[in-house]
Amino acid sequence: MSTETAGGERESQRSGPLVAATRWMENLSDTTYAYLLLSPVFVLLGAIAIYPLLRTFEMSMYAQTFTGLGEFVALGNYVDLFTGNMDRYLPGQPTFLPTDFSLGSLLTSALAVTIIYAVVSVFFETLIGMGQALILDQDFYGRRWIRAAIIIPWAVPVVIQGMMFYLMFLPSVGFLTPPLADLGLLAPTNTLNDTTSATFIIILSDIWKTSAFMALLILAGLQSIDRGLYDVAKVAGASKWQQFRYITFPLILPTIGVAVLFRSVQALRVYGIIDIVSNCTVVPSLSCMVVNAFFSGFNAAAGTIAFTTAAIIGILVMGIIVWQGEDAI
Amino acid sequence: MATVDQSDDSGGPLNRWVQRSIQDPERVYRALFYTAMVFFMVTTLFPFYWLLVLALTPSSAITGGGFIPDISLFGANVPFPLPVPQGFRPEGFIEVFQEIPFHLYMLNSFALAVTTTIIVLVVASLAGYVFGRLEFPGRAVLMLAILAISYFPPAGFVVPLYDIFAGNAVTIPFTDVALFKSIELLNTPGSMILPFSALFMPLSIFILTTFYGQIPDGLEDAARVEGTTRLGALFRVIMPLSAPGVATAAVLTFISVYNEYFFSSIMATSPQASNWSPLVGGILSYQTQYTTNFQLMAAASIVGVLPMLILVIVAQERIVSGLTSGALKE
Repeated sequence: MSTETAGGERESQRSGPLVAATRWMENLSDTTYAYLLLSPVFVLLGAIAIYPLLRTFEMSMYAQTFTGLGEFVALGNYVDLFTGNMDRYLPGQPTFLPTDFSLGSLLTSALAVTIIYAVVSVFFETLIGMGQALILDQDFYGRRWIRAAIIIPWAVPVVIQGMMFYLMFLPSVGFLTPPLADLGLLAPTNTLNDTTSATFIIILSDIWKTSAFMALLILAGLQSIDRGLYDVAKVAGASKWQQFRYITFPLILPTIGVAVLFRSVQALRVYGIIDIVSNCTVVPSLSCMVVNAFFSGFNAAAGTIAFTTAAIIGILVMGIIVWQGEDAI
Repeated sequence: MATVDQSDDSGGPLNRWVQRSIQDPERVYRALFYTAMVFFMVTTLFPFYWLLVLALTPSSAITGGGFIPDISLFGANVPFPLPVPQGFRPEGFIEVFQEIPFHLYMLNSFALAVTTTIIVLVVASLAGYVFGRLEFPGRAVLMLAILAISYFPPAGFVVPLYDIFAGNAVTIPFTDVALFKSIELLNTPGSMILPFSALFMPLSIFILTTFYGQIPDGLEDAARVEGTTRLGALFRVIMPLSAPGVATAAVLTFISVYNEYFFSSIMATSPQASNWSPLVGGILSYQTQYTTNFQLMAAASIVGVLPMLILVIVAQERIVSGLTSGALKE
């Protein structure tokens, strides 16, 4: 850049702020240079992530009243949240903790319904994703197109995914509600405002969308398996099932572990699909409660739930890091 | 396979198939394989087909039901296995743009996605260069911190961000010291691009760290000897050489922003295209307090998902490599 000077002049004779800045940058030590290049990341994440997180935490330490923020109560809101005293600030009829262990009470509890949603959807996504990955791992004509078709749901915008399932299960439009209602799985009328039915539909739509993600992660694990192992197994007379049971499954288990935790973290944030298919007061996920409480003007309640969600996810992430150790990075 | 017990030698194609399968189990696996493949194809593609059915059905016929007609098969009435449109009215795909300016909502989404992608690529390239090619104290801790931040739920950020973007003062946490007021950003691209960038940057950082770390040192040294500055070496040598990685990060960021719901729905407070409301606002606009036009909702959903279909078909290699390397590295 600086050697473009004409007539053999030495670069050191050029001046101006740009040249000065370049020269200054060239002479920095590696460490200083590294932190200089990272400064945009620090600014962005500091302003958009760390500052709001701290403010959220601060907000959660003031008493919640129906008129606004009260006095400083430190961690009192968290105690209220887990003893049920915060429930009156949650719009609709949800509770934070389930009152008993019946399905109805579990599904109207913000904490329980979020965890149920995450566990059930991730469980089925893993199963289906494994099936899809085993298929994509084969060599066959048109594999590229099959793979594209399997990935496509993952790339569908949440709002369109929501539309699909809304239009499939809305009793006046969709054709799926009557047969499933006959089986007793869904409420025959007002399906999308029925907590159990709506939770079922939302889990189904998440499985549809995100199995592909699991499939891709598991496929990466499958393709790293040494093919020679299968030749050995064939010579030894192992059946396909034995090959899967004793070679494939143990070798992809670590990959599945990471994928499951990674997906669980995302599943615990669920908001958009609920907002479109049903309503946040019908299926009260944790993120839903944060948004609803905030728009009802209950900032302290919103902050408390937001930070509790973050803490739950944090515990899961610690799991990932402890499990993976240094490889997690 | 459910018919294995009928192994009497009475002929018939099914029995012959079963007999041959018993002699050659490979056939069963192949049959299972194709059954599973067809099953996955049908389940993944069916919701798109359903949108198409609704988009072609006139809105007056949509709530009438009857999408699954009975057909007569050998004299018996059985339901047809696929829903069929009640009529044929492709005009819906034009009315989508007449009813509301749906193309403007899509353009908003594109503009937001492109801007975010550029910001993320530049900032993540700097970070990827640092993490992939420089050794310095604090590297592991910083990467861990970025990873940890990427795991926080957006709900943890949204309330204070909304406050700031609404024009309230930025306050030092845990004090009442107000620093300065942000300009009002709600309903402007800034209120969405900033959270998007922070949200989707970590994945790009990890992808680019992997790719930039693989470029041999000699190439960078050669460029430096030729007289390139340090930054010049990054943007003129390392970035072009890692083009697949950069493309991967770009495609994933673009798709993520286009698909984002949380901030898109909260930060664009009015569903007006002129207020930078993205795709989310557009599709939900067909449902007003008084009327809901299901046909146009379905047609708009198909139009809105087309860019993603094309992107997946064109860039599937990049998506696969990015998701697997990025997510598994994380």
